[in-house]
Amino acid sequence: MDMIAGKIKLTSKTVDQSMNPLDVLERETRLSARDVTVHYGDKQALFGISIDIPDRAVTSFIGPSGCGKSTFLRCINRMNDTIEGARVGGSIKLDGDDVYDPNLDVVELRARVGMVFQKPNPFPKSIYENVAYGPKIHGLARSRTDLDEIVVSSLRKAGLFEEVKDRLNEPGTSLSGGQQQRLCIARAIAVGPQVILMDEPCSALDPIATAIIEELIDELRENYTIVIVTHSMQQAARVSQKTAFFHLGKLIEEGVTEDIFTNPEHKQTQDYIMGRIG
Amino acid sequence: MTDTLLSAASPGSRNREQVRKGLRRRHRSEVLFRWAGILSIVAALGFVAILFGMILSKGMPSFWQSTLHLEAYFDPELIEGGPQPQREDSNSDADYQRAYSNWQRAVTLSNWNTVVETAIRAQVPEFEIETGDLLDLVTTAARFQLRDQYFANPDVLGQTMPVSILGSANTDNWLKGTIDRSQPDARQQLAPETRQLADQFLEQGIIRFDFAGHIFTNVDSRSAPASAGLAGAFMGSLYMMMVVIVLAVPIGVASAVYLEEFAPKNRWTDLIEVNINNLAAVPSIVFGLLGAAVFINYFGLPRSAPIVGGLVLTLMTLPTIIIATRSSLRAVPPSLRQAALGLGASRNQTVFHHVLPMTFPGILTATIIGVAQALGETAPLLLIGMSAFIANIPSSPMDSATALPVQIYLWQGNENRNFFEARTSAAIIVLLGLMLMLNAIAIFLRSRLEKRA
Amino acid sequence: MNALVIAALLLVLLTFSYQVGWSRSRKLAGNKSQHLHSRPIYHGVLAALFAVLPAMVIIGIWALFSEQVTNSFIVAQLPPETAQLSQMQLQAAIARVKAIASGYGVVGEPSATEVVAAQVFASYQQISFLAVLAAAAAIGAGGLFWAQRRIGPRLRARTEVEIFVRIALMACSAVAIVTTLGIVLSLLSDALRFFSFINPLDFFFGTTWNPRFQSAGTGSAGEYGLLPLLWGTVMISIIAMLVAVPIGLMSAIYLSQYADERVRNVVKPIIEVLAGIPTIVYGFFALVTVGPFFAAAGDAVGIDINATSALTAGVVMGIMIIPFISSLSDDIIAQVPRAMRDGSLGLGATQSETIRNVLLPAALPGIVGAVLLAVSRAIGETMIVVLAAGNSPVLRFNPAEPTSTVTVSIVNQLTGDADFTSPQSLVAFALGLTLFAMTLLLNVMALYIVRKFREQYE
Ligand SMILES: Nc1ncnc2c1ncn2[C@@H]1O[C@H](COP(=O)(O)OP(=O)(O)O)[C@@H](O)[C@H]1O
Ligand SMILES: [Mg+2]
Repeated sequence: MDMIAGKIKLTSKTVDQSMNPLDVLERETRLSARDVTVHYGDKQALFGISIDIPDRAVTSFIGPSGCGKSTFLRCINRMNDTIEGARVGGSIKLDGDDVYDPNLDVVELRARVGMVFQKPNPFPKSIYENVAYGPKIHGLARSRTDLDEIVVSSLRKAGLFEEVKDRLNEPGTSLSGGQQQRLCIARAIAVGPQVILMDEPCSALDPIATAIIEELIDELRENYTIVIVTHSMQQAARVSQKTAFFHLGKLIEEGVTEDIFTNPEHKQTQDYIMGRIG
Repeated sequence: MTDTLLSAASPGSRNREQVRKGLRRRHRSEVLFRWAGILSIVAALGFVAILFGMILSKGMPSFWQSTLHLEAYFDPELIEGGPQPQREDSNSDADYQRAYSNWQRAVTLSNWNTVVETAIRAQVPEFEIETGDLLDLVTTAARFQLRDQYFANPDVLGQTMPVSILGSANTDNWLKGTIDRSQPDARQQLAPETRQLADQFLEQGIIRFDFAGHIFTNVDSRSAPASAGLAGAFMGSLYMMMVVIVLAVPIGVASAVYLEEFAPKNRWTDLIEVNINNLAAVPSIVFGLLGAAVFINYFGLPRSAPIVGGLVLTLMTLPTIIIATRSSLRAVPPSLRQAALGLGASRNQTVFHHVLPMTFPGILTATIIGVAQALGETAPLLLIGMSAFIANIPSSPMDSATALPVQIYLWQGNENRNFFEARTSAAIIVLLGLMLMLNAIAIFLRSRLEKRA
Repeated sequence: MNALVIAALLLVLLTFSYQVGWSRSRKLAGNKSQHLHSRPIYHGVLAALFAVLPAMVIIGIWALFSEQVTNSFIVAQLPPETAQLSQMQLQAAIARVKAIASGYGVVGEPSATEVVAAQVFASYQQISFLAVLAAAAAIGAGGLFWAQRRIGPRLRARTEVEIFVRIALMACSAVAIVTTLGIVLSLLSDALRFFSFINPLDFFFGTTWNPRFQSAGTGSAGEYGLLPLLWGTVMISIIAMLVAVPIGLMSAIYLSQYADERVRNVVKPIIEVLAGIPTIVYGFFALVTVGPFFAAAGDAVGIDINATSALTAGVVMGIMIIPFISSLSDDIIAQVPRAMRDGSLGLGATQSETIRNVLLPAALPGIVGAVLLAVSRAIGETMIVVLAAGNSPVLRFNPAEPTSTVTVSIVNQLTGDADFTSPQSLVAFALGLTLFAMTLLLNVMALYIVRKFREQYE
């Protein structure tokens, strides 16, 4: 037990010290959203969200349940397209390309913007096949050895390789919850995305698995733009450099994580951080 | 390690090229896949359309049949038997019956064909045609039609009355063109004169296509196909459905209630469960074998009787009703049961006073689905002798009878294909119409009940 | 008339005993010092049960045996020669006596013995009817007396009524078991009788099917090789599956994954209409439309296709099975968690890639189960093949030629005057047993697979 506690502490420490918070402001913007609205049928879920998301940093969305965090996250890789009755307005630009440009190919967009879901959702296939799935459909590997290499390096980057190297042919569902989530991260990495979206990736996991994933996120930050939705403020504080606070479908406040937590401008943000809102 | 990190350091650019290259092919196969789906649906819908189109286009004309409108003279010279015998006090019931049936026999044995012939010839006094060919124009049941008219009103003796007589099946074929009119004489069913007369009558309005109400009121007939009807089959089906409703619904609902609400979860109930699921998938013809071996051979119930058919169909429908009732019982929220139990109701009271009433729409739907399924079932009925030719309307479930789907089976096998293809389609329309009605009633009642609840 | 009297008696007994039970327990309850275990209504029901059930048993026994007893009574009244008459004449003699007794009379002058017999019979009838009524009433009254003596504050009337109800429910649920037992036993016993004529090996492995009917005059029992029929069944089922599985599965996929709600709400019920159509209608459709169409199409391209053939029957059976496959697959695809689909789409897979690589593999066990159920339905289907397969039980491998199936032969062998003694009709049960065993195997396998599949995603 002590060891675990130590590990968590250690993790949060590494995270805190790894980057000067003010650096975030100097990072170039990878994603910029302007005036994004979402309707589900007649019900409006998001009201004019505008935010810039910096490259190679972790941006976290916090806010009470049902405030539209996931909805906004799904706008970024157009997963809302798959929901019947969902309509998106406004614009989101990824490296200057309009995500909602009718000429833009969703398939290509999603290859650039990977996603990890709330509940680990490995396919009912082997561990190897799970990771190889993305590269295969996108035709990223020219040969079997190419594919092997991608699978191994993705599993490595997801910090899972050592644990599963002897059972790559076992079904992905045979892993523990935390391992499954890392498998899903490996699966996303294997396509070589620029951005990785994570929707409460730890909410179904125990504290140890959570700590491991948080550590992993921190490592991945060096190469990817990461956006994470979380309902845990501690987690946001631990892993992210930039934080956005949503409430009732509106973006209330955004900024450097440290500022948001220590010195929120809005009363609603403060209330939420103090635990006064849902 | 450094290698992978390096490549990861510039993710994208090379990969994006790769992804782009594959896009065209992938989108093409997406479109193909989508089209495969659309085509499947079009095929399925197409089958429905073709099936109904075929049945309707073949069957609807059959409801309007060529009918001759004539003036018939009820000639006392021809009609024998004298006046209808009257009941006298000195006679026993049996004696009166005997006298009456003697009179009926004499009337029946009278030369009605000549009455018919005279009536037809009266329309075309000049036309030369042999008697046999002339009578081919009308159904062989024409004489019974006139006779029955006479039985209904013996006072017409010696008078001339307007009568309408069904054309024969062959006349109907000829006039509707269901037989190839260009075929040589040798291959036609009717003599040239008969055909000419038919055409002439049609032109003069003596033959008209009248609504063939007798399809609903007559029984099957072999000698006079034109006047064959569905009344016997309809009654047979009705009796069977009554048996099914009276037996299958209470037993089915009771077993569903027992299994869902009372039965302990053990090996025995597991067995019943598996057993019911299997029974639902046992081919219907096996139930027919059961009926033949057990109900007829072992218990000695009459062959061809709706009671046996009803029992067989009951056993067949039971699983449907049980499964459907169970699923509607399962849909009742557990909180309702807990609330009732919490108020001190016993388990029985909870089930019968609170849970069961809520499933009423579900049970109703299940019943109608089951009855509709039973109504259309044919195979098991063949094995218990319901495909025998029956020329009576059954007056009880113990009488010999046939059923609507079996009548369809019998008619489609009739040698007079040209006529019976249409007649079979008409019977199918009636059967499908009944099933449609059942379903409509189910939907209507269901929505009413659910609104009220 | 008699039935009405009996029904009235039972009704009177029912209301009376209910009333007795109810009012007696009411009286007890009125006495403040006593606390009743059950409400009066249950005492009433219990009393009614105790009174009516035994009375019904008596009447039931009488209903079962009265016919025989009555007939032997009449025969006893008639001169002794009567007993020597043939069955038909005896029935006629009995009917005459009954007719005279009922006052309807007979044609002609009845003989003196008949008149006497009728008089005796009439009074016998009255007396026996009254006696049965009296016995039923007495037993009912006895039951009621006993029941009302038991009424007391501590009588658990409700519990007893509930036990009775539960037993009745249990008996109803046993009907399903009894049905299965009945099927198995009747098929087995008659099949065994068939095997006393024909060697089972000749049946199961014979390649010739030629059950000469005895009326043909030859003494030989005929040949009963199952294989031609089995092959016909299998061939038609394969053709049916080749039609139904792709169309059914693709429609289900399109409707659940691509079509918007409006289209789904229109198309789904229409496809399901196909499921409600009686199979005799499909048979007619095959015979009148599909068969001639295939024959003409074959003519056009120079292939010899028979109008009634395995092809015709198989294709039409496939059409019949489409809604079965599509609604089962729809259910099964709906059970695959949405997260699985999102995972694949989120990686940039197209919709069809997701369906082919993730959704279908995940749903595969369930779909296999559904297909097995469909196969079991196909091999048990009767009317389509009776009308459209051509009824030619010869071992042939060309689907364009006529063939025959197990079900067709069952119908052929048992539709005539079944006497249950000749191998010609008994073979139907051996065929039925084969059919039952095959479908049972398929069903059990399918239900097991589907159940495992459901558990996987629960
Ligand atoms: N598929 C959907 N259909 C309709 N409404 C939805 C759907 N998904 C989310 N919503 C609604 O949109 C709002 C935002 O939901 P969501 O983005 O899931 O919130 P969060 O992730 O912050 O908890 C909620 O009110 C929710 O009810
Ligand atoms: Mg969410």
